[in-house]
Amino acid sequence: MGEVPVHLTVNGRRRAESVEPRLTLADFLRERCQLTGTHLGCEHGVCGACTVLVDGAAVRSCLMFAVQADGADVTTIEGVASPDGDLSTVQAAFRDCHGLQCGFCTPGFVMSVTAFLRDQPGPTDEQIRQALSGTLCRCTGYQGIFKAVRQAADAGQHGERS
Amino acid sequence: MTGTATGGAARFVGARVHRVEDARLLTGRGTFVDDVSLPGMLHACFVRSPFARAAIRGIETSAARALPGVQFVFTAADLNPGVKEQWHTSTGPNSPETPRPPLAEGEARFAGDPVALVIAESRYVAEDAAELVEVDYEALPAVVDYAEAEHAEALVHESHGSNVIGEIAGLPASALDGVFASAAHVVSETIHQQAYAPVPMEGRGLVVDYSGATGELTIYAATQVPHEVRLFCSRLLGHPEHRIRVVMRDTGGGFGQKVMLQRDEMCLMLAAPIVGAPVKWVEDRRENLLAAGKSRQEHADVKLAFDLDGAIQGAYIDFVQDCGAYPTPWPVMTSAAVGMLFPGPYRVPSAGFTCKAIYTNTVGRSAYRGPWQFESLAREVLLDISARRMGMDPIELRRRNLLRRDELPYTNPNGMSYDSISPLETFEQALAMLDYEAFRREQAKARAAGRHLGAGVSNYVEPSTPGYGYYGTEAATIRVEPSGAVNVYIAGGSTGNSIETTVVQMAADALGVKIDDVNTIQGDTAVTSFGAGAAGSRSASMTAGAVRETATLLRERLLAIAAHKLEADPEDIELADSRASVRGAPATGVSFAELAALAYFAPGSLPPGVPAGLEASARYTADAPAIWVNATHVCTCEVDVATGHVKLLRYIVSEDCGPMINPAVVEGQIAGGTVQGIGGALYEHLAYDEDGNPVATTFMDYLLPTATEVPEIEHGHIETPSPGPGGYKGVGEGGAIGAPPAVVNAVADALSPFGVTVTRLPLSPAQIVGLLDQ
Amino acid sequence: MKPAPFEYHAPETTADAATVLARLGDGAKVLAGGQSLVPMLALRLAVFEHLVDIGRVTELQGIEVRDGSLWIGAGTTQARVEASDDVASAVPLLTRVTPFIGHFQIRNRGTLGGSIAHADPAAEYPAVALALDATMHVTSSRGARSVAARDYFDGLWTTTMEADELLTGVTFPTWDGRCGFAVEEFARRHGDFAIAGATVGVELDDADRIGRCAIGLIGLGSTPERAGAAEAELVGRSITDVEPDDVGRLAMAGLASVPDDLHGSAGFRLRVGAAMVARAWATASTEARHG
Repeated sequence: MGEVPVHLTVNGRRRAESVEPRLTLADFLRERCQLTGTHLGCEHGVCGACTVLVDGAAVRSCLMFAVQADGADVTTIEGVASPDGDLSTVQAAFRDCHGLQCGFCTPGFVMSVTAFLRDQPGPTDEQIRQALSGTLCRCTGYQGIFKAVRQAADAGQHGERS
Repeated sequence: MTGTATGGAARFVGARVHRVEDARLLTGRGTFVDDVSLPGMLHACFVRSPFARAAIRGIETSAARALPGVQFVFTAADLNPGVKEQWHTSTGPNSPETPRPPLAEGEARFAGDPVALVIAESRYVAEDAAELVEVDYEALPAVVDYAEAEHAEALVHESHGSNVIGEIAGLPASALDGVFASAAHVVSETIHQQAYAPVPMEGRGLVVDYSGATGELTIYAATQVPHEVRLFCSRLLGHPEHRIRVVMRDTGGGFGQKVMLQRDEMCLMLAAPIVGAPVKWVEDRRENLLAAGKSRQEHADVKLAFDLDGAIQGAYIDFVQDCGAYPTPWPVMTSAAVGMLFPGPYRVPSAGFTCKAIYTNTVGRSAYRGPWQFESLAREVLLDISARRMGMDPIELRRRNLLRRDELPYTNPNGMSYDSISPLETFEQALAMLDYEAFRREQAKARAAGRHLGAGVSNYVEPSTPGYGYYGTEAATIRVEPSGAVNVYIAGGSTGNSIETTVVQMAADALGVKIDDVNTIQGDTAVTSFGAGAAGSRSASMTAGAVRETATLLRERLLAIAAHKLEADPEDIELADSRASVRGAPATGVSFAELAALAYFAPGSLPPGVPAGLEASARYTADAPAIWVNATHVCTCEVDVATGHVKLLRYIVSEDCGPMINPAVVEGQIAGGTVQGIGGALYEHLAYDEDGNPVATTFMDYLLPTATEVPEIEHGHIETPSPGPGGYKGVGEGGAIGAPPAVVNAVADALSPFGVTVTRLPLSPAQIVGLLDQ
Repeated sequence: MKPAPFEYHAPETTADAATVLARLGDGAKVLAGGQSLVPMLALRLAVFEHLVDIGRVTELQGIEVRDGSLWIGAGTTQARVEASDDVASAVPLLTRVTPFIGHFQIRNRGTLGGSIAHADPAAEYPAVALALDATMHVTSSRGARSVAARDYFDGLWTTTMEADELLTGVTFPTWDGRCGFAVEEFARRHGDFAIAGATVGVELDDADRIGRCAIGLIGLGSTPERAGAAEAELVGRSITDVEPDDVGRLAMAGLASVPDDLHGSAGFRLRVGAAMVARAWATASTEARHG
């Protein structure tokens, strides 16, 4: 098929591109937008490394086609810290709690956790673990990640920022 | 404050310093190999055999080549003749090796064997073209069951003449006949561990950029060993080493899978000069599970002899490992570690072993954290079985046999000499953290209520930091720049092990510099001195040695220049916070910036004998063949006997890695390895059916633990300095060694009222229910 | 793992979608949330010349409380179902089963209709639809029709819908009175496909006798299953006379196509299935008795 036009906003910036329908949103972000922070760990929707926010919802960008995101507002890992480089509460918590080692899964966790804490600001430990269970990490054993989410959740409750 | 090895105050070493890697990784600005994009870059995709074993009668590539966007379709005839020399530096040119044709030549030897290579303008198009390549396969009987392979009619490698790759032995079983015959108790079992694999979140990959005009070859690689990639490539292509540059900025996990280059990477290196444009290959998850290599698939007949009091008299292991069709490296010597280490951190007067490596028509064996760890699995599981059979508490049995500090150095019965370890201390600390007695009471109450709790322990000793040959040295260059800031250049190879941060911590302390004034550059062979990379849990000790040697040279010069400037004795000068001052008078001092300005811009003002500039290079040589590390893992669980589900309750690791450069990094390494071990014990299985077809080629079937399967991991730490620099020991692999047996023992303990003997992994729910039904 | 090429269609109304499907026939596949379809395309296990994305058809999205029932549009996301107070009060079984569907990121895109039309026997919504005698609403250019859940699932990943038909919504009957509902699922890890699971509803009369019950089974056949024979045996009995373990055993009788694979044999699944039914029954009956 010929290419299909897509118009969407990525990290606040409007993008207009022409794409093959089969181009995944993940590849669109990485190749067309040159935002390589969204990573491909499995390309079949299990590992979560490719997670981005589409209209605010955490989704696996390898399971969406760019054409499905026409008209959407997408946020990637590159859009989380402030333009000055100030880390978000979630990012700072990951840094403080040694929640990353190789960093490959980290964008997926940061995006998922950011959405999760926004929607569930006072989670129990069990709820945190369940929310984390959709993203895989091979380096940390999830220990630092859990602590980071706990710290970010607790900071959020008290209105603290990084 | 304690001092560092170089004489500075320890200010950053020992602290949970925030990582320097995090700023880029948290904001999506890391550079992994798939993030590299070069002008004109093309993309590669392999055509892989669907058969475990098949003759390749012909390959028709015309339809694939005709697809718009396809540039090349290579077969063995195109690429394989380009091989000049093919060997890994750590193995050497004279070792026996499995023949490794880059692309399969005439015969496919495992499902996933690369048969053709498509180069196209995008990975999308390359995959379309790969489907159009027609390979005329004639399926052949495959050798799949490694336990039967020795007697199979079919040969995995005709040229080898046998499916037994080789065998290596210590004392033969017969030499121990007397020990076993006269023992009060002899316990023997056959223990099986399944195939599982490192499965880093990022697969293998590289971009090869060959410029015919300039003769420059640049490789961006997902690797733990940038310099080895350069050396290997240089030999492979016959291309001068100094014209090859390998760059690795970020790699998404390795755990041993990215230490040895395999055939897929060779194909890319061989293709690049022909293609004449940069070529990228990044394996997808299916390829990683299919073709990146498997580990662990092995079993052994093991036996232990005890006297009446449960003191171990002898240990014997008859070990067999499945090496697949293309093991990397030659597995015979490396398998010996299983036999040599089987006695573990225990007092064992006599031991023997046989280790056999077998070819099968499955993916080749490659390294994974603690490649020899089967010895700990087998020994620790057998100790628990023995305790139950002898009517002893498994804890008491271990307490009786664990080595004490006053017995060190201790030479195990296979000739390995352990020093600077603390097996009894980590054991007692871990048990105290659990409150073992309280657990046994809780277990009894639970049993009365029909619930099945269990506790499992494992102890191990591990040789880290191989101090010989290719691995035995490490170098650094440290530059105090004209501004007074510091750059540390070191080979690196970090795939998550935080070597950038720990090097910065050590250099900051060694030179007395503010930590923000130190930067490190790693992973670029054009810029750093040869180093063997991140493997064998070597980085802590070896980088410490390299930094120490180099910093010592610089400290001398800094002290001399400062003393001269401040009109004091160098002995009275202190370096701290990027300043040099007279001890006791910090206000009178001179900044590193001022010292650097003198060194670089006013050489005439330097004291006699002190060279201009502030840059030094040095290479550290290890003086021991190994640095021994030990740990104890304790795990408690609950087993639901209706479903076979295992819930891990508590997990405790007491480890002795000596002083810690960064406790957060140490705990992170242990936790990661531990969860991989938990995965191996309960969830992960790189399974093949009886025809050699892989069954777990996606994350739907290859199950990695997630955050809900893993409890909080509690850390205890004993600190016995090693003789090496800083007293540091390697900590990268241990978690994956200690965890499987602790988990297995916990499950076996939970199920002990049912009289089951657990000898086979993984302990899936179906497996556990099967044991209960027997 | 990149999908093979396809043509893309994004109709904005149900009528347009039906027209496109009529025109394209067998070579077309409906794309809803994509959480099941896209992995299959990426692995090239399935190849379609045309994908018809119904994500823009707003008429297919919605939750409506109707008289004695609840209608959910096929294009409604699982996340929306999970968060809906209307669903929680009208069809509690749906609310309780939804957290078992994968992970929240999946549920943000996955749809109720997609899950039902994909007809995976190890999925949650098909079992609930079958257990509660839901009605599937189906349309094509030839007109609309309704299919009872028991006539909808035809085999592994197969429904009785024609190639040109589109699921537009599902109507679930509401249970009033003294009811209890529970879901028990056994999977290798949190969020995985069930090895075996049970979705149970029990309604009691004022004398604690079982007025009706529904036992949906997950992962125990090539389609979602319903323990109809067990239900028939249980109706009319006093709840206190019924042992949950017996219910579990009854529910497993007569299951003819229990899967056998890497994650477990048929025998293992039946054993686990019995335990799941027993546990769900115990929870549901407690709720029915005590509210």
